Amino acid sequence: MYKTSGFISFVLRRVSGVALVLYLFMHMWVIGSINQGPEVFDARLNLVQTPLFKVLEVALLAAVVYHGLDGIRLLIINQFRVTDYRKSLFYAVLAVSVLLVIAGGIPIILFMLQGT
Amino acid sequence: MTTEFNTAIVRIQRFNPDQDEKPYLDTFQVPLENDPTLLDALQLIKTTMDGSVTFRKSCRHAICGSCAMNVNGRNLLVCHQPLMKHLNRKGEVTIRPLPYLPIIKDLVVDRSSFWAQYQRVKPWLVPPADVPDKEFRMTPEEVAALHDAETCIMCGACYSACSVIGMTKAYIGPHALLKSFLRVLDPRDTIPAERLADVAQGDGVARCHTIFNCIDACPKGLDPTLAIETLRNLSRKRQAFAAQRNERQKSLAIG
Repeated sequence: MYKTSGFISFVLRRVSGVALVLYLFMHMWVIGSINQGPEVFDARLNLVQTPLFKVLEVALLAAVVYHGLDGIRLLIINQFRVTDYRKSLFYAVLAVSVLLVIAGGIPIILFMLQGT
Repeated sequence: MTTEFNTAIVRIQRFNPDQDEKPYLDTFQVPLENDPTLLDALQLIKTTMDGSVTFRKSCRHAICGSCAMNVNGRNLLVCHQPLMKHLNRKGEVTIRPLPYLPIIKDLVVDRSSFWAQYQRVKPWLVPPADVPDKEFRMTPEEVAALHDAETCIMCGACYSACSVIGMTKAYIGPHALLKSFLRVLDPRDTIPAERLADVAQGDGVARCHTIFNCIDACPKGLDPTLAIETLRNLSRKRQAFAAQRNERQKSLAIG
C-alpha cells in the first residue's frame, strides 16, 4: 500500500462519504415514520435522542465538515491548477475540520449531558 | 542524513515464486565508502554477497526508467539516490519492488498491464497526411502547455504508486493518460477527438480520484494529475477542440 497524505485524504473522503450515505438512510428511516402515526414517529425520535446517537451526531458533523472541505480543496486545486499546494491545503482542511468539529461538537455534548 | 555509520543495513524484499510461499526481507551490510547510490549498494550485494538478488537496471543516469523501486515506502529511481540519504536512525534502508504489480522475482515486477494501457492510448503521433518540406512550427505557448510531459521516461513509478491501480488494472493509469495528454495538446496530432473519446470512457479520466500519488512518485517532477484534469475538461468539448485543431493545422506547416 502506498501511503501518502493524498492516500489518507482519499481514505477519509471515502469513509466520510459512505458514512453520509448511511446517515441518509437513517434520516429517512426516522423522518419517514411520520406516515406510520405519531406513536412510531415519537418512538424513533426518542431513540435518536439517546447519548449514543449524540456521539454519532458529532461523528456525522465530522463527516460532513471533512467531506465538504476536502471537496472544496479538490475544486480549488483543479480549478486553479495548484497541485503544488495539495499537501498544505490538505493539512489546512484537517485543521479547519478539527476546529469546526470541536466548535460544533461541544454544544451537542453539552446538550446531551443536560438531558441525562 | 546519517553520517555516523560505517556500514548501512540494506533490507531487500526477496521472493522467488518457484520456491517461496510469500515475500520476506533479507538483510545485508553495505560499506558506506565513496557515498554509494542505492543501485551501487544493490550491485555490490549482487556481486559480492548474494548473486541471486534480482533487480532491473540499465543506464545508471535516471533516464532509462529500469530501476524504479520502492524505497522506505516511496517509489523512486535507485540509480540517482544516495544510499546515505535514505538511512533511518538505525542506519537501515528497506528496498521493495514496485507495489501493486505482480512480482517476477525479488525486485523485478511484471509490467504487462503498464505497457498494455500505454499501447491502448496510441502513444505515437498521428501527423497530417501532408508533411511539410521543412518542419512543423509550434508556438512557445503550445510547447509550454505540454508541461514537459515529453520528458516522461516510462519508469512506472507513478503507475505503481496510484491507489486506483491497486484496486483495478482496468484503469488506464497516470503514465498513459500523461502520454495521451501530450498527444492531444500536440498541434501536429490529427486525432485529438478520438483520443479524448477514449480517455473519457469509464476506465479513463473519470477513474482518477485525485490522490496525487503520481505527482509524489514521479522522479522527473511531472504532474500527471494536472494532465488528467486537462483531459477531463477537454473531453467534454472534444468536437470543438478538434475543429480548432483543424484550423490550427492549416498554419502549422512551414516550407
